[in-house]
Amino acid sequence: MSDSSSLNASVLPDDAAVLARHKPKGIWRQGCERFLHSRTGMLGLVLVALVVAVAVFGPFLAPFDPHDQSAMLDPGAKAPPSWVHPLGTDRMAYDVASRVIYGAPTALIVGLGAMSIAAFVGVVVGGIAGYRGGLTDEIIMRATDFFLVIPVFVVILAVVRLLSSMVVNTPLESIPYLNLGTIIVLIGIFGWAPIARMTRAEFLRLKNQEFIEAARCIGATTGDILFRHILPNALPSLIVMVALGIGGAILSEAMIGFLGFGDPKAVSWGQLLFFNYESLKVAPWASLAPGAAIFVTVLGFNLLADGLSDAFNPRSGR
Amino acid sequence: MRLTIYIVRRLLFAFLLMVGVSLIIFFLVNAVGDPIELMMAETPGVSAETIERMKVHYGLDQDPLTRYFIWLGKLLSLDFGTSIIYNQPVGSLIATWGWQTFKIQVPAILIALAIAIFVGTTAARRQHSRTDFAVMSGALLGQSLPAFFLGILLILIFSYTFDVLPSYGAYSTRGYLWGSVVADGLWHMVLPVAMLAFFNTATLTLLMRSNMVDVLKLDFIAAARASGIPERRVVYRHALRVAVIPVLTYLGLLVGLMLGTAPVTETVFTWPGLGYLYVTAIHQLDYPIIMGASMVIAAMLIAATTLTDIAYVLIDPRIRLE
Repeated sequence: MSDSSSLNASVLPDDAAVLARHKPKGIWRQGCERFLHSRTGMLGLVLVALVVAVAVFGPFLAPFDPHDQSAMLDPGAKAPPSWVHPLGTDRMAYDVASRVIYGAPTALIVGLGAMSIAAFVGVVVGGIAGYRGGLTDEIIMRATDFFLVIPVFVVILAVVRLLSSMVVNTPLESIPYLNLGTIIVLIGIFGWAPIARMTRAEFLRLKNQEFIEAARCIGATTGDILFRHILPNALPSLIVMVALGIGGAILSEAMIGFLGFGDPKAVSWGQLLFFNYESLKVAPWASLAPGAAIFVTVLGFNLLADGLSDAFNPRSGR
Repeated sequence: MRLTIYIVRRLLFAFLLMVGVSLIIFFLVNAVGDPIELMMAETPGVSAETIERMKVHYGLDQDPLTRYFIWLGKLLSLDFGTSIIYNQPVGSLIATWGWQTFKIQVPAILIALAIAIFVGTTAARRQHSRTDFAVMSGALLGQSLPAFFLGILLILIFSYTFDVLPSYGAYSTRGYLWGSVVADGLWHMVLPVAMLAFFNTATLTLLMRSNMVDVLKLDFIAAARASGIPERRVVYRHALRVAVIPVLTYLGLLVGLMLGTAPVTETVFTWPGLGYLYVTAIHQLDYPIIMGASMVIAAMLIAATTLTDIAYVLIDPRIRLE
């Protein structure tokens, strides 16, 4: 706590003369400045930026097409790393480096897609609970508790598998990436509870503060109060949750893929592990590379969240 | 009195949760279609007559709501039905495989707790020192290291490179280690327990450290020091008692997390536990096991969180019920 209060003092000068010269900085500006000084946060940002860069420039970086199995003829399947195949080839003679690179966009789409759903549902549900209060609040929070204690991962596994067998021999089968879409939606639907809880707490805290009362006095509408006054002030805490959640969603998808329930048509890290895990002893590089990619991505988002929470809630934690 | 009301309310809520979970599980499994037809869609060449006979055999010819209540009634007498793949009662399958899960998760938690208390306290006593920084960085890294990836690394190092520990199963298939079942079982437990313990240690250490940092700043610690009690005793007797409460209550959540991801962590080591049973059942659409195992996992999770909430109120005198 002591380190953050000293930081506070340097960012928030209470000297009247200084205040007169410099416009007071908003929470965003202050947060950004603190974030730039956070070692963990910056490291997280670098790692996340790296993953994003790989996802965006992947097609130009990857030495091979992700579906290219031509290596079967020359170095063969399970070939150790070489100049042509920097991370070796896997069980099916795919180039491991190319597949790992093409797995990055999949991971990011899963993380962002699932968390957009979770954040949207969570903010709406939590916002209603926090702002309305009373019986509405009680009912919604019990429902939230329910989603917090059910074994989410176990349920998702069953649903993914059952849905994939349900679409066999139906027109739905031809929808591209149906399975991946299902996984994203499920992670999102089962992941909103912590965000709803946080939103509710923030709305409860903010709705009785003076500036909200002031806004109400000058005749602001409920919508204005909710979206222009309360929500922006609740955002910093929510962003931390979302950053953590993106890492969690990517990890969930990787675990689903590792167990063999991933989308067979998508290139994903979890699935690479699933395909190559049984040849771990002969071709460890084919399992290590996607595993390391998952680790780096999850670490990046966790560190980013850590840095953000230090930056925006300087008085909490530490 | 208030405490009794709280506990009763908490238990009632846990019961409601279980009913909700049973509804979700039953109707999810059944909403997507008839289990027998789903299984048969993936195994062509079975006559319609056989399918009809199977439906009658498994009682699937009745309407879903009736079947839900029949299923619930049987659950209450701990009858989970018969597995389609193993052709054994699901209850005894869950008991045998569940014991294996218990066998690795409980030691993992105890080891993690012991390490976290010691390391977290040490780091908190030297706040902002190099030790503290190292502990914090290590724990942050460890928190992000997916348990199953750590398992893969452990297998690569200890099973394949040095060939000192087994990489799969709970017992050797050909001859026990030193001819002893106990030794062989323990030998197989080392890597799975290490993986789970590492995963828990990271989170618990961070929690322990931040609690200890806060507690060490409280007045009663200063008073204890001023009255000449040795520092070790102040930290490990006086401060620890207070600082460890949130850590203990966090165990409930951790148990839930470990059980929830058991399908993954047990698959890494082909460990014959509840999670692995669940994964194979899902692959083969063995729906009595899917429903039974997910109900048991959910029940344990809900029990863990409920007990945690109750224990929290019982242990911590600072919490007042309104």
